[in-house]
Amino acid sequence: MNAAVPLSPAAVVVRRTIAAPAEDIFDAWLDPQALAEWMRPGSVRSTVARVEARVGGSYEIIMQIESGPVVHRGVYRIVDRPRRLSFTWKTEFTENQETLVTVDFIRQGLRTEVIVTHEQLPESAMDSHRNGWTSGLQHLDEACQKGLIG
Amino acid sequence: MGEYQSDRLDGVFNALCDPTRRAILARLTDADARVTDIAGDFPISLNSISKHIRMLERAGLLRRSIVGRDHVLTLNAEPLAEAQLWIEKYRRFWEGRLAALDAFVTNKKRNRK
Repeated sequence: MNAAVPLSPAAVVVRRTIAAPAEDIFDAWLDPQALAEWMRPGSVRSTVARVEARVGGSYEIIMQIESGPVVHRGVYRIVDRPRRLSFTWKTEFTENQETLVTVDFIRQGLRTEVIVTHEQLPESAMDSHRNGWTSGLQHLDEACQKGLIG
Repeated sequence: MGEYQSDRLDGVFNALCDPTRRAILARLTDADARVTDIAGDFPISLNSISKHIRMLERAGLLRRSIVGRDHVLTLNAEPLAEAQLWIEKYRRFWEGRLAALDAFVTNKKRNRK
C-alpha cells in the first residue's frame, strides 16, 4: 500500500457557471469600474480599483469597511483573454502573505464556467511560529479534506 | 476564532502533517480496522504504528473501542471539519464574489439589450 495520500498545497477552488460570454466575464476582472461594483462584499461600503492589465502589471483593490480601508494588492502573472487570468493576491486576510489566484473561463455553449483557484493560502494563519508542522500543513489540500470529511 | 479552537486545530494539523498518519486516516475512511490490521499495512514496527495511532487519538481524529482482544479504530471526522474552518473563509469570499460577478455581468447584458 502506498503510505502517502497525494496532496497539493492548501487551496480553495470555487466554481460558478454564468450565463454570459467568456470575454464579458473576463473583462469584468480587469475593468476598474466593474471591479468597483462586484468586488464589494456585504460589509464593504465602497470599492476602488486600479488596474494595470498586463503580465507583470500591478493592481490594487481597496475596500472601504467601517473600520477603514482593506487593501488588496498583487501582480498579474497570466493575462490570456478570455481563457485564464492569474495574479498574486495579498491582503490582511492572507496574513499579508502573497497568495496566488487563478481564474479559468471555460465556454459551455452560451454560458461560461468560471473557476477560481486560490492557492498558497497562509497555512500559518493559526500559528506562525510552529514550523514543525506547517510544512505538513502546506500539503493539506481540499481533496484530502473532502476524502476524509466526505 | 477562539483560543481553544486554534489549540485544537494545532493538534489536528500536527497529527495530519505526517504521511503515515494521513495514510492511516485514509485507510479508515473506507472502514473501521483493527490496530493489528493497520500495522500489517505499513512496513514499520507495531510500536511505531501505535505511536502514530495514539497521536491521532489525542488529536481526536480517531476513536478506539475494545472488542474482546481486538482494538478497533474508527475515524472521527469532526475535528477535520474544524480544520476546514480556516480555509472556509476564503471559499466564502470567492463564492460571494462570483455571485456578485454573475449579477454584474448578466445585468449588464440585460441593460444593453
